[in-house]
Amino acid sequence: MNVTEAELKQRTRRRFFFTGLHLCLYFSFSLNWTVWGNFLADRLGASHITGSLLMFISLILIFIALESVFLWLSRQGERS
Amino acid sequence: MRHLLRNSFLIWMCSLQAHSALAAGAIEGEVTRQPVNQTAIIMFLIFVVATLFITWRASRATTTSSVFYNAGGQITGAQNGMAIAGDFMSAASFLGITGLMFIGGFDGLILSLGAFGAWPVLMFLFAKRVRNLGSFTFIDVISQRLERNPIRLVTAFSTIVVVVMYLIAQMVGAGKLIQLLFGLPYELALIIVSGLVLGYVAFGGMLATTWVQIIKAILLLTGVTLIAFLLLARLDFSFSGLLEQATLNHPKGEAILSSGVIFKDPVQILTIQVSMLFGTVGLPHILMRLFTVPDMRQAKLSAYYASLFIGYFYIALLVLGFGAIAFVYNAPEFFDESGRLIGGSNMAAIHIASAVGGDVLTGFMSAVCFATILAVVAGLTLSGAAAISHDVYAEVLKQGEPDPKTELRLTRISVFLIGLAAVLLGIAFQHENVAFIATIPMVVSASVTFPMLLLSLFWGGFTTRGAIWGALVGLSTSIVLIVLGPQVWVSVLGNSEALFPYDYPALFTMPLAFAVMIAVSKLDASPRAATDRDNYQALLWRAEFGESAPSGQAGSV
Repeated sequence: MNVTEAELKQRTRRRFFFTGLHLCLYFSFSLNWTVWGNFLADRLGASHITGSLLMFISLILIFIALESVFLWLSRQGERS
Repeated sequence: MRHLLRNSFLIWMCSLQAHSALAAGAIEGEVTRQPVNQTAIIMFLIFVVATLFITWRASRATTTSSVFYNAGGQITGAQNGMAIAGDFMSAASFLGITGLMFIGGFDGLILSLGAFGAWPVLMFLFAKRVRNLGSFTFIDVISQRLERNPIRLVTAFSTIVVVVMYLIAQMVGAGKLIQLLFGLPYELALIIVSGLVLGYVAFGGMLATTWVQIIKAILLLTGVTLIAFLLLARLDFSFSGLLEQATLNHPKGEAILSSGVIFKDPVQILTIQVSMLFGTVGLPHILMRLFTVPDMRQAKLSAYYASLFIGYFYIALLVLGFGAIAFVYNAPEFFDESGRLIGGSNMAAIHIASAVGGDVLTGFMSAVCFATILAVVAGLTLSGAAAISHDVYAEVLKQGEPDPKTELRLTRISVFLIGLAAVLLGIAFQHENVAFIATIPMVVSASVTFPMLLLSLFWGGFTTRGAIWGALVGLSTSIVLIVLGPQVWVSVLGNSEALFPYDYPALFTMPLAFAVMIAVSKLDASPRAATDRDNYQALLWRAEFGESAPSGQAGSV
């Protein structure tokens, strides 16, 4: 197995990068309860869907997308 | 008049449910026993017969401790992902979140996102490394590099605290829920739950528990999909139309489409987010599921599939929550003479099933709720039994060399004792406010298990002394702040104002536990500390690659 210490470090950095990104997005949901997130209460056009609801659904989908990318990168790393 | 009554009911429920619906127990306070629901009972009996058949099949394969604890490591990633979803999607999720949305609309979603946010973290940080290092429990992972006996005793103790508290909340919630849904007496409900779980776990071990959880997850996802479909079909599949109908019915109008109806304080939101995310990641019965798959790749896939199923579930609950406001709020048959929702707000999910699917769908969802309780309690019981028989007996008392038959027998005895304790504690706490008991597992898990696991896997300077001091500080401050908080200081002890303002103190206790673990580890100059630091090199390599490091090729990261 041609694995070097540098690869080990790279994998650990990747884990922390994805976790950090995920946590930033996750805690951004609390903006809904602050004055900086007031704009999220607005409706999207003529629909009754608000920015808050859109954010909720988007975050779930983004988290799953992040996991998909992480899995893909891990698989690429294992193959190489 | 009815509208006014509902308004006052809403305000009263907002203050109550902001606490209780966050808890793992789905039903709080006194409930009125409902008439016997024959449809629900028949559907539940079908579930029981199917799962007992699976248990019988599994019991023939469960001849060793290994098969008992981790199903022989033969579960696939997709199956395990579904089982994790089945283990985690409790009746509290289905009933509690829908109920909270019924009261406050969007604010209820903080619980959904809080719980869902844990799965990516589990995948990014832990799935692979934990799978590569452990055998049966997460304690195996931590004790790989730290001093075995003290670490196992401390972590086994925190695991048992988490499992017992979670179990009490589940059993009290289960007894009341079954009273409501099936019309069965509270005590009988507890005995049925405990008896069935004993059957599943004691004879079928992890294999039977896994299949019970998979079947339950499929049933629950089918049920919420069906309800969401029928709800949207009534409004030409317009989600916006559903929201519009909800705003017309709810006294808060369009305010329910964004934040602020129940929760106002952003710090309170952060306390919930921290507790839900890091608490879920550290739950022992969830981590234990990572050992049921054959390799590290399947472990990662487990977390991924769990995310897919749980993410879908919470998006479906979004429809159900607003659907309940749209179709239950204006239906007098779901309110009693005083204007209260029959069974309380946590029954909104069942009422919406009645509104769109009649008695058959109500019976189905009631049976699913019962199955949900069984699956969650089974996972908890197995995890508690493993902590006693594997972590304490086999690894501490027998120093990792137990007699296999004695260990398996002790595991089954532990399962029986946990089942008995669950019934007795469930009866003892029948008339108590269990919201605070349900809070403890998440906060303790976030403040003890998560920091220990993270530092043992990612920091070379972590020592046994740091782990023990940090765990004790995390555990004790969690319990003290919960006691001083609104759920115990005000709701249980009857004081007018809480000494600590938040229900979930993990926002404060988790960083404190981290700080103590790091500070004590850095100051630790004992001989054991040097061994702990040296052990990290080899552990890191095995954690990442699943094999020992080639000579001279491992370093700290």
